[in-house]
Amino acid sequence: MTQNSENPLALIIEDDPDAATIFSQALQAAEFEVETATTGTQALERLKYTAPAVVILDMHLPYVAGADILDYINTEPRLMKTQVIIITGDHELANDPALQQQGRVIQILVKPVIYSRLHDLAQLLKLSIKGGTP
Amino acid sequence: MLTSKTKRTKRMTRMTSVVSHWLDVPSTDPDDARRRKLLNILLAGIAALVLLALAATVIGNAAGLLTASERFLLYQTTILTLIGIAVIFAINRYWSGQIAGALFLLLLLAALAFSDEPKQVADGRALFLFSIPILTASVILRPWASFIAAGLSGLEISVIALRALQGIPPVPTILGLFAVALVSWISARTLERALADLRAINRELDHRVEERTRDLAEALSRNQAILEAIADGVIVFDTAGKATLANPAMAQLVDHPPEEIIGHDIKALANTKVNQEDLQVIGELLRDTHRDYPTLKLEWGRKTLSASFAPVRDDSGRRTGTVVVFRDFTREAEVERMKSAFVSSISHELRTPLNAILGYADMLKEGVYGPVVEKQAMALERIIVNGQRQLNIVNDLLDQAQIEAGTLKIKVAPFSPRDLVEDVTSLMEVLARSKGLTLTGHVANDVPDKLPGDRQRLRQILINLVDNAIKFTAEGSVQIQVYLPDARHWAMEVTDTGRGIPLEAQPYIFEPFRQVDDPTTREHAGSGLGLAIVKQLTNLMGGEVVLKSQVGHGSTFTIILPLVPIQEDLR
Repeated sequence: MTQNSENPLALIIEDDPDAATIFSQALQAAEFEVETATTGTQALERLKYTAPAVVILDMHLPYVAGADILDYINTEPRLMKTQVIIITGDHELANDPALQQQGRVIQILVKPVIYSRLHDLAQLLKLSIKGGTP
Repeated sequence: MLTSKTKRTKRMTRMTSVVSHWLDVPSTDPDDARRRKLLNILLAGIAALVLLALAATVIGNAAGLLTASERFLLYQTTILTLIGIAVIFAINRYWSGQIAGALFLLLLLAALAFSDEPKQVADGRALFLFSIPILTASVILRPWASFIAAGLSGLEISVIALRALQGIPPVPTILGLFAVALVSWISARTLERALADLRAINRELDHRVEERTRDLAEALSRNQAILEAIADGVIVFDTAGKATLANPAMAQLVDHPPEEIIGHDIKALANTKVNQEDLQVIGELLRDTHRDYPTLKLEWGRKTLSASFAPVRDDSGRRTGTVVVFRDFTREAEVERMKSAFVSSISHELRTPLNAILGYADMLKEGVYGPVVEKQAMALERIIVNGQRQLNIVNDLLDQAQIEAGTLKIKVAPFSPRDLVEDVTSLMEVLARSKGLTLTGHVANDVPDKLPGDRQRLRQILINLVDNAIKFTAEGSVQIQVYLPDARHWAMEVTDTGRGIPLEAQPYIFEPFRQVDDPTTREHAGSGLGLAIVKQLTNLMGGEVVLKSQVGHGSTFTIILPLVPIQEDLR
């Protein structure tokens, strides 16, 4: 799976396979190594063993809610440097100040998430990681 | 002390009723009853006098003041009189007032013959004595009976005069008697007529009271029938908050029989079935006399009820309580919930594949899957533009459904108007360019960096307005402007150089599913909800939409919103 071990890891947590494909294309194009989880359970399992530089998190997931995963990332010391991009179809959630003001959340994107937008965002993120300033 | 006074009053009342029981004579004719009662009163008065005379005789006899013949005469007279009174009383009470009255008068006249010296009777000095039977006749028999009494008196006097004086009858005395008879006839007749009038008035009054009572009873029973038949729960609380009336529907709604509801307050009725917050609101509405009485929706156990409040006032306008009408909304609420859930789920289902279409088209266009030639890029552009448009329609429908259901919430937080304009401009630029239009955005210098508002909803308003402007503009430009029209408001404005909106169409372009009726409308197909949502969202935010447009000279839509200070906790 790993093509270049120096590339930072991105974990995409998204139950819609089409959306997941679009997100991974955008992040791969920005030179991230990409892993995909299609359920919250699967995502939590992955997060036990890996410490991604960025998590693309769809808030609406079956079985385990996106909010619970966000809590886990916030409280797990191993994931201190992990940054989160939230994806949601819900305008109201995107506008929720409580979510906006979480330090880990660098962006909230409302569906449809345009490939080029996420690509641009990922490239900026990549630069900041390389530069060492989160 | 109080009790002894009450006792005395009670005893008096009982005595009065005993006396009036013996004086009253039951009769269907009120005149007859009155005359017979009057006769009884006269008899009682005379009896009392005779008894006094009898007592005086007894005392005089004991003192030895009387001779044997005097004693005999007095005893005989008094006892005979008492017997006569008793007989007349019995006749009057149990047989006929007329006969009793006639008998009384005859006895009276007979007694008068011995009232004085025959000479004095005959020469008229006893005239005043004879006016007694004349007056009495007019009131206890008939008014005209006074003349008969006068005639009899005159006859009696004449006989006495002829026998005692052997002279001529005393004509002036007899004439005087007839004059007295005339006066008493007139008085008695007037009195009887007045009484008859009074009785007629009383009868009329009784009749009216009866009629009103019947009307009232009818109205009451009609109201009662309405109250019993109505499907809504009706309950009336007094000013102390206790229930004074509840209809069967109310009993059914709260699952208590009416007798268990009456006398209790709302807290006891609701028990644990209503949450504290709603209970408090109900309590306030029951107490508050000045507020508007709105309709409240609340959960009551497993039911959803609406409650309408209205004050109850008496004739003088004083508030005596509150009537509350409860309606069972359980089914409607369930349908509403299902509809909302359905709309939101179908919107999600519609959006998911559209999002994928847009995402893949975008990736193709960006060359992710290899180089794209110009014609392919144009085709992809069309896919994206149309997909986006369809997505907007789905979003519009969802918003409209939420606005109608009242579930759409406005969340106010500080946002940057400059970011907003930039965001919308860059988003809509593609669409504008595809029609050869220029789209510009401008924020005036005096507009603060942060404004309070729901950024997402403001963005939606702006997108809808710009989309609409692009749709109806063939050439020229679309401009977005943000500025401060006065010290208390800020404004977002979208101006186009399109064909304008006719004056007669302007009032209804904000209605849902309405577009300007025009053959060209078809080619600009959309949900027809864009402007309706703009208006409804603006109103929800406490603002207003102003439209200035002239056919051939473009349109300007201005959204004016209150510039309320940003709240501390939102900063």
